[in-house]
This record gives sequence, C-alpha cells and structure tokens, in this order.
Amino acid sequence: MNIAVCVKAVPDSKYYDKISIDPATRMMVREGIPTVISDLDKHALEAALALRDKNQGKVSVFTMAPESALDNILEALAMGADEGFLLSDRAFAGADTLVTSYTLAAAIQAKGPFDIVITGNESDDGSTGQVSAQLGEWLCFPHIMNISALVYSENALNVTALSEDGSIDYKMALPAVLGVTRKLNKPRLTNIMGMLKAKSKPLTVLHYGDFPTDDNYLGLKGSPTQPGAIYAPKMSRKTVELTGTPEEIADRIVQELCKAGVRH
Amino acid sequence: MFEIYQVNKFKKHNMFQFFNSDQKSLQKLVREYVEQEVAPHAAEWDEKDVCPDHLWPVLGQMGFFGIFVPTQYGGPGLGLTERAIVLEEVSRHSAGLGIAMMTHDLAIAAILNFGSEEQKQKYLPQLISGEKIGGLSVTEPTGGSDFGNQNTTIEKTEEGYVINGRKCFITNSHNAVINVVTGTSGVNEKGRKMISAVIIPEGTPGWSAGRKEHKLGLRGSVTGDVICSDLKVTADCMIGKEGDGSKIAMHTIGHFGRSGMAAIALGVIRGCCEEGLNFAKNRITYGKPLTALQAIQLIIADNQVDYEAGQAMLYNATSIYDSGVQCAPEVAAAKLFISRNAIKAAERTIDLMGGYGVINEYPAGRFLRDAMAIIPSGGTSQIMGIIVAGNQLR
Amino acid sequence: MIVMKEMNISDYKHILVYAEIKDDKVIGTSLELLGEATRLATALGNNTEVWAALLGNDQEKYATELFRFGAQKVVVCNHTSLNVYRSDLFGEALTQLIRKYKHETVLVGATYAGSELAPTVAAKLKTGLAAHCNELKIDENKKFIQVVPAFGGKVLGDILTPNHRPQMATIKSGIMQKIEPIDFIGVVEHFECDLSSVGNKIEVLAVHKESTGRKPLNESDIIIGGGFGIGSKEKWAQLEEIASLLGGATGCTRPALDEGWTQGEHTMIGTSGVAVKPKVYINFGISGAAHHTCGIKDAGLIISVNKDTCAPIFDASDFKIVSDWEKIASALIEKLNS
Repeated sequence: MNIAVCVKAVPDSKYYDKISIDPATRMMVREGIPTVISDLDKHALEAALALRDKNQGKVSVFTMAPESALDNILEALAMGADEGFLLSDRAFAGADTLVTSYTLAAAIQAKGPFDIVITGNESDDGSTGQVSAQLGEWLCFPHIMNISALVYSENALNVTALSEDGSIDYKMALPAVLGVTRKLNKPRLTNIMGMLKAKSKPLTVLHYGDFPTDDNYLGLKGSPTQPGAIYAPKMSRKTVELTGTPEEIADRIVQELCKAGVRH
Repeated sequence: MFEIYQVNKFKKHNMFQFFNSDQKSLQKLVREYVEQEVAPHAAEWDEKDVCPDHLWPVLGQMGFFGIFVPTQYGGPGLGLTERAIVLEEVSRHSAGLGIAMMTHDLAIAAILNFGSEEQKQKYLPQLISGEKIGGLSVTEPTGGSDFGNQNTTIEKTEEGYVINGRKCFITNSHNAVINVVTGTSGVNEKGRKMISAVIIPEGTPGWSAGRKEHKLGLRGSVTGDVICSDLKVTADCMIGKEGDGSKIAMHTIGHFGRSGMAAIALGVIRGCCEEGLNFAKNRITYGKPLTALQAIQLIIADNQVDYEAGQAMLYNATSIYDSGVQCAPEVAAAKLFISRNAIKAAERTIDLMGGYGVINEYPAGRFLRDAMAIIPSGGTSQIMGIIVAGNQLR
Repeated sequence: MIVMKEMNISDYKHILVYAEIKDDKVIGTSLELLGEATRLATALGNNTEVWAALLGNDQEKYATELFRFGAQKVVVCNHTSLNVYRSDLFGEALTQLIRKYKHETVLVGATYAGSELAPTVAAKLKTGLAAHCNELKIDENKKFIQVVPAFGGKVLGDILTPNHRPQMATIKSGIMQKIEPIDFIGVVEHFECDLSSVGNKIEVLAVHKESTGRKPLNESDIIIGGGFGIGSKEKWAQLEEIASLLGGATGCTRPALDEGWTQGEHTMIGTSGVAVKPKVYINFGISGAAHHTCGIKDAGLIISVNKDTCAPIFDASDFKIVSDWEKIASALIEKLNS
C-alpha cells in the first residue's frame, strides 16, 4: 500500500508576532522564522503510518515550500515516513490553494502510483481547508474531508466524516484522498531511534521541470485568487480595569449585566 | 526538531556552541516530550512524593534509557553526553524523575561495561525498553563515602552466592526489579575487604524493600532501604569476578552516576533561569516589569552564568568519556561545581520572586529543595573535592 | 488534467447563495449569507440579483423561507441521489448549476459540508475561492473583495479574484447579518442535473445524528467562556453554573476543549471554531490568543478575568479583572444566587 501525505510547513506560532509583510509583493517575509509541521498534518501522517504498519507499504511525504522546509520533512521522516519530496522553486511561489493542490497533485502523479493521499483538514496558518478536496479533483480520486474515523478493509476505506449534528459513514474505493481532523488519532511522538534514522532516508528536492506541469497552473501567476492589502484586525475597545474585593467586583459585573440588558 | 536547513533568527543566542546537529535535534526531541508529558505533572509528583513509574515503557520507547548502549544490544549507540542532555531536559521540570531515570541507567551501565555477553543479552533489552525498572545499591548504614567498609556479604555457595545485608538511601528501592548490588566477598592478601557486584534477577526470594524515606527534595523518586535476607543467586549473576565490585562501582558511579547528578543539577539551574526570567518579565512593580530593575538583571545574569559554566563543565567531561578516556576527576569537578551553584541559583531565584518565591505554587522552592538533595546523592561535595585534589596531587 | 476554457468575465452576473438544509429547515448561516448578498447586490447595482440554490429531494418547500430572507430567484435541483450529502454528487450538481446560470459570485456557508463542497466546485470550475471570510466588500471600482484571517486571526488579508468567475467565498455562521424578513415571493426555477458521470466510488453507509438538544452558541445573549486556566472538569462546573444562573451558554478555547472539560467542539470559539456575537461575553482563565479573540470581536460587552496582568485577552476587553478566576467566579455565583 503506497500512501502519500501532504504536509505543510507553517511558521511556528510561538513567533507569530515576528512576522512581517513585504509591502511591495504583499507576501509574508518568512526568513528567520522557524517552521513546524502544521498540526493536523501530523494527524494525517500518523494515520498513514498506522495504515502502513498494519498493511505493509510505503509512506511518502510531499511538501511545497522553500528549501528551509527540508527540516520539517526530516521531522516527518523521523516520525516514521519512508521518503520525502520537497517541491521547491520560485516558479511555485505565491500559489493559492487551487494551484498548490495542482502542483502537489502533479508531483504525486509523477512519483506514484499511490493508493491513498492524506492531508490535514486545514493548516495552522491559512486555515482555508481547501487543499484536500482540490487535490482529489485534480487527481480525479474520490475525496472526503472532516474525517474522524478510518478503517481500511478489502481495498476500500470505511470513513466517518463529521457534521454539525453528528456524522456520516462512507465507503470509499481506492485510490482516494482524505482530509483528517484531530479526532482521528493521537500522533506518535518521535523517538531517538527515529531521529537518528531520518537523515539516511531518501529526501529529494523537486524543482520546476523535475516533474511534468502545466505553466498555466503554477505560482502566483496561475492563481485565480490574488492577495490584496494586509492589516491587523481592529480590536478597539477602551479597557477599564476593575479592582477591589471579589465581592465588589461581582457586584460591578452584575451592574454591567443589567445595563447590557441580560439581567433585570 | 531539526535545524539544519533553516536558521531561527529569533532564537536566544546560545552561548554553549559545542553540540553537533544530532545533539541539538535530540535536545529538541526530548524537550518536546518533557513539555508535553513531564512539565504539567512535576509539581504534583513533588507534592505527593510519587514516582511516575507508569511512564517507564514510554520513556523506553522514546529511547531515553540506555542511550549509550551500542546498537547490537538494542540501544541507540550514542554516548554519555546524549544521556546527560536527556537528564538535563527532564530535570529542568522534575529532578525527582531525573534521579529515578538516572539510577535505572546505572544498572544498564554496570551490566553493559562489565557484564558477560549472556548477562548483556539477558538483562539489557528489558531495561532499555523500560519494561523493567533497574536499580543499583551500594550505600549502607556504614556509609556511602566509606564504600570499602560495607557490611553486606556475598558468600560463595555450591549453586552460586548467598547475599545478606541492608542498603539504605537507595533510589528506586521500592520499584526496581532488576538490581545490581555490591557486597563483600572475603578479604584479599592485604587483609582488605574484597567488594563484588551481583545482579539480582526479578523476583528472587530474599529481596525486599524496607523503610521509605521522606525526602526534602528529589521527590518524584522513591528512596529507601533494600534488604537481602539469605538471598540466593546462581553463579552467573556475578558481574565479572569476585573482587571486581570496587572497579565496577567506581566506574559506574564515577562516570554515569555523577555525570547524571551533575546533569540533574544543571537542569535545576536552567529551571531557575527560565522561571526567574519569566516571572521578572510579567511581574509589574513601580509601574514596570521587574526586568527594568538592575538588581533583577544582575540576578538573571548570575543565574545564566552559572548555567553556562555548568554546561561547559558537564559536556566537556561527558565528551571526554565519549572519546574513550576515563575522566572521573572531570566528572567529579562538574558535579561539585554545578550542584553547589544549583543551590545558589535557587536561592537567588527565590529572592527575585519576592513573596511568591516561598509560595509552593511557584517552583523555586522545589528547585532549592531538589538542589540540596542533589548534594549528597552520588557522592558528597567533600568526596568530589577529594577526587579532584587527588588528581592534582598525583 | 482538464484544460480550462477561456472565461468571458462579462458573461457572469448575479450572486448565488448555496442554501444548506439541516433538520428540515434552511440553516441560519445560509439566511445570513442571503442578507449579505442583498447588501452586496445593492452596492454593485447594475441589476445584480440575489439567487439561492437548493440541492436534494423535494427542495421546493424551502423556497418560501429563502424569499423571505432576501432571495429573488431560487434554483431547485432535485435528484434522487442527492438525498444524503456526498462530496462527489453534490459537487457535480452544484458545478453544473453554476455552469448553466453563470453566477458572478457564489457564497457558501462554511459548515462541515459547505467547507468541502465549495473547494470541490471551485476546483471543477478552475476558479478562486476564499475561505472563512470575515467580511465581504465592494470597492470603489465595483471589485469584490474577500477579507480572510490568517495566522490564527493575527492578520487580515484582502483577497481578489480578478480574472476568474465565479468568485467564491465561504463564510462561517454568526459573521453576517440576516435581513429583516420581508413579504416576498420570487421565481422558482428547476434545474435538471446529470449525475451519470459521477459513478459509485463513494457510498453512504450510515448517517448518525446526535441530538445535542442544546442551543447553538450564537443564539445566546450571554456566553461564559473558559480556557486552560480553569484547571479541571470539577472547576469547570462553576462556569456552567454561572451560565445557567444567567440563562446563557458556555464557550471554550481549544486547550480547554482538548482537556475534555467542555460541552464540546461546537462550543469552541475562535478562527477554527465558531464566531459569536452575544450581548455579553464573560471569560475566565483565557489568555486571549488572536485566534480566540477573532471569534469574539463583535460581542457587545467583554469582561475578562485572568490572573496574568499581561494576558492579551485584556486588549480585546471592555473590563479587565486581574485575579485568580475562582475567587471572582464564586463571588459572582453567590451574588447571583442572593
């Protein structure tokens, strides 16, 4: 069973306040800010590793990012993945989700065939939650996201997808694409042996031209959505500090509740 | 975890520069685990004085035990330096867990460095995996420093040996199941007691744990008496030959024990640095954070200098060992220096925190108690001094 | 790979809202999007109409509600296969519908299903989609701008779709406003979709409904929020008590949710949870990271209690209380009980 996992390298949230924006290109300036594997993608990786452990096969990790993300692919290899591919080229930069999923799909097709493609439902930074469905469309594989449970049996996947008031169980024929949620599993911790083995596993950087692509669907130029102005959200409230004993503060809170009309 | 292809522009400048990239990655890996699974519980383990031995299989799975054991015996094949990194990271939050892990490793080290091939194949896998907890018992009521005068006897019998005696102040006393014990086996030509070391397999009749001590610090580990009462083992339980016990104990404690304790003390110092800094940034007095005050800045500096000095001494010593050279004096010097400074750093940090420093919800008090308990563990400061002086006086 | 046909942008007109049905009625989010579509249509002028699309079986019965809340035309696509939501069937049906009617703009509620349906359709149409928009604007050049949060809400960015149509956006519940219901009956159009090409790679096995029996968070006038600072499930009970005494609901942040203390994922407030606009939001033990405050920015009155005077939540609050939260909570419970 060959499983492809798409992993996104996102800025470490500890350093969000160090992010700056280039006013000319309106793109984020990323140098110097360490990246980590997006949280839900770790759950995707865990799902892939669990399937491989049970069914024999190979887990390949794909990331589209600048070369600094090689560290993150190493992390995925340390966690247990068998090989990694970094799609890295100026030609790919500035891609929106449609084009990102196109580029990933093209690489997956070139390095395949794969039976299952898994990614996190959404990433920590952009949180669009669009890549898994669009990957499915580009690859012409059935795709389902919001997955909270997953069982492989007899060349098909039985999955549970969340909905507001419960869930729906589906059966998917392979090959298929999945977008997973936190509920699915608990990602394994990388241990020392894994860390030591990571550097000797195959890790390839794929540049523009290393796999067949159509220029119309690459990079900022190929993206239907284009970024505009970037700004900080306005949180303009004049904050008043309440001091005193807890009883005095509680009195004041109730006063404000009455003023706001929720208590009489 | 890996920082080979990217540079973190915003990371605090690390004064200590001699970790290789694998050691840096290891440090991050352990730190992630510790922050998730150890840090949230450290205060509780200290307060309740319980050793979280349910973690042993997970710690084993992470590769934290026997990190210096070569791959042919199932270990990662790294060294004393990497082991010290693990202990420093754990002890930054729970020095109690640190000493429990440290002691478990002593059993592994003794068997690895002096055991027979059969003993290594039989005992190392279960200890490395964390399936079984290990212990090493040397100290007796006659003294820990006065090692040669111990009273536990290891007498030869037809089937093997019989052991009688009582050990005290033993870490993992009540939870270790594979134990290495020293005792006397007759006298040598000079009339001096000969010390031997034996492995006591799990479940051997005659082995029991006695009183449990309530310690000032390093709570989160179990410490107490172990008693051998007419305890019989087969001949293949002797490590090396009769009389090798001094060499085994000295090597194991001198390198693995004391570098371990030094690493634990170093972790405590780092805890002081980080908690002190964090408190100072957030506590507002005179309308500004404490960090605006020079007096506080100097405390932060003193803590940091103690940490840096400790790093340099400890990892220098462990690197010497890893290069294949014995270095008991270097390790002793590191333990002496770092453990004393851990007490100073904790005291400074309590001062920095003012009234909050003596409130048990804050860790500074625990750091002080742990630092004090480290002093007599693995050899008193005075013994460390004698070792260092002895090396100079040769 | 399917090749994109050249799009003639001027062929595309009007705004379509995908109307999702749950528990036999149109979900609130879809009605909110109709309200927003009405405002956008007015701003665009040029006879831009507001349409709604219904996919399923016997969907006509929902048209009245859609007209009351702003739809001028309702397209009904009935098909026996559309009885239960399935990404491939619904994706293909909505795509065909849009291809026929060539809407300039399509708005979809960012529900679990909508969050999957929208990108599926966008990929089939090779067009642009902006997710979880905080705001939709028409600028002075009559260009449609979508405002999306990034980095957990720390930053907002404008997104434009200059050369592709339709321009698509998903929006979460509680962000947009419904219009006051009006007395209007518009045109119902039936659309026949052809789902023969879809195949059976996905099969519905079962549908599980959990009756939460609880008001969705954004219908409460008062919400009591709790974060990691609460400490335990037993302590969380005090928040439930306050909510109960005030006739409100409890909300939470992700760390509290992960600890298992809360009412569930649907009460998680933030960029990856729900956005709420209660009259009053009182929160305890929440540090106030950007992705949470993004979800409460439109609340009426925000009162925050945290023992850390530097907690970022205070920047977003009307009232700041620096204290051990339990002291304030128990005093408040006592006061409310007296």
